[in-house]
Amino acid sequence: MEELIEKIKSSQSLSQEAEDYLYSISTNKTFAKGEILIRQGQRVKNIYFVTDGCLRSYCYDKNGKEHTLQFAIKKWWISDYIAIHSDESATLTVECLKESKVIEFKAKDLELMLTLFPDFERFQRKILERHVVSLNKRILNQLQLTASERYDLFVEKYPAIEQYTHNYHIASYLGVTQESLSRIRVEKAKH
Amino acid sequence: MRALQIVKYGDIKDSLAFNEVSKPAVQATDILIEVKAAAINPIDKSIILGNLQGLLPIPFPSTSAYDVSGIVVEKGDDVSNFEIGDLVYSRVPQEQMGTIAEYAAVTSEAVSKKPGNISFEEAAGIPLAGLTALQSLEFAGIKANDRILIHAGSGGVGSLAIQYAKAKGAYVYTTTSTENVQWVKELGADRVIDYKTEDYKTIVKDVDVIYDTLGQKYTAEAFEVVRKGGQVISVAGPLDEETATMFGMADYKLPEELATLSAEKDASYKFIFMHPNGAHLAEIKTMIEDEKIRPIVDTIYPFAESINAFTHLATGRAKGKIVIKIN
Repeated sequence: MEELIEKIKSSQSLSQEAEDYLYSISTNKTFAKGEILIRQGQRVKNIYFVTDGCLRSYCYDKNGKEHTLQFAIKKWWISDYIAIHSDESATLTVECLKESKVIEFKAKDLELMLTLFPDFERFQRKILERHVVSLNKRILNQLQLTASERYDLFVEKYPAIEQYTHNYHIASYLGVTQESLSRIRVEKAKH
Repeated sequence: MRALQIVKYGDIKDSLAFNEVSKPAVQATDILIEVKAAAINPIDKSIILGNLQGLLPIPFPSTSAYDVSGIVVEKGDDVSNFEIGDLVYSRVPQEQMGTIAEYAAVTSEAVSKKPGNISFEEAAGIPLAGLTALQSLEFAGIKANDRILIHAGSGGVGSLAIQYAKAKGAYVYTTTSTENVQWVKELGADRVIDYKTEDYKTIVKDVDVIYDTLGQKYTAEAFEVVRKGGQVISVAGPLDEETATMFGMADYKLPEELATLSAEKDASYKFIFMHPNGAHLAEIKTMIEDEKIRPIVDTIYPFAESINAFTHLATGRAKGKIVIKIN
């Protein structure tokens, strides 16, 4: 929890009352590698802040193949926001790629906190802004950059993640085949 | 639900029919799979023709096939390792045969989550052949630097056995026909022998393991090329005595020719009878996700054309698996 409080306080003030409330609605949880936190097709109630480990959100298409939307490492948030904000069943599955420690929040508790504590609303707005920027960049990168350039950005963004992931996790995140990803890695290794 | 059923023993076209049947009942340890794809294997054809009625008798009508991939839509009270919505694959046990249907009930012990990097159709083609290859080569204890001959490298079992043996670091010889040499090489085999132009017995000498997927003369010939003290593993030759006893054939004796050859070479002979196993499928899942094994699909047939899938299988010319897309 300290990581989250520290993260909030690095950008703004947070009253003791708000901090206490945040503690009161949080639950520390540890999940083993392979455990599923959110399952495609089921209801979604929770949002997770990662304090250690690595998680992945993905969907599968009608042919049964997985497509990775996001990796979440330390100090990242992860959930299925489409499901939460549209009140629909999950379109994503969230799984642990290694043993992970998270702080679990009920989405409705966080929602209530926004109305109770304006400071926290400001923090949430900033998270949302960064999230929108990140999503826009991801779309633009997909449109503008080569697969090799996207791979460079990926490695920069998630420096140690390759030890926890299968190639297809990364290939599907980048929108390339596993064979293409292998070729890119071979080319990078030559330089 | 709609299912492709065997209505009698005999010719493929006359013995198969689409029927409307009830959804299978889900026992406490079962999961119900909404079938996305099923795959067919030589054993399915043999059952229809009646060639296995002594060993695996079936009531009529019976829904055909064993290999399946799909989505868990229901589970029994005792199932804790799967959830509704899981994407899975399985080789169903004999008593639950019937995967060319809209739904299939399977004991959860025979099920694994499917590999995430391949389609339902590709996944459906894996279980029976993959389990056969894995259980055979695991029995042989295949390891780095072992030298193995795998017969029929382009077959369903052979193509997966080559990849499994390579993943374990073995040196792999395999046999195939001219038109398949190139793609079998691409599976990783070290020496692909074109049986139409080369005599494998002049190339393969004193190897540690022979994997006999053909039977007939190849079972006896295996003892010519295996090293002294080596192993002959077969999925197509005669039963060994231990396996026969397991099937209640207490007085069974290995054919004299094989017994003599085995003794002369001090080489063991083992017939492998594949058994459904979810944990083994999970092992194969990891190998597929790690790109150590890739599925080989020849043709995907729509559900309505399932009978054509069987006539294709009967030609024996498929390069990889024949799969039926159900839904």
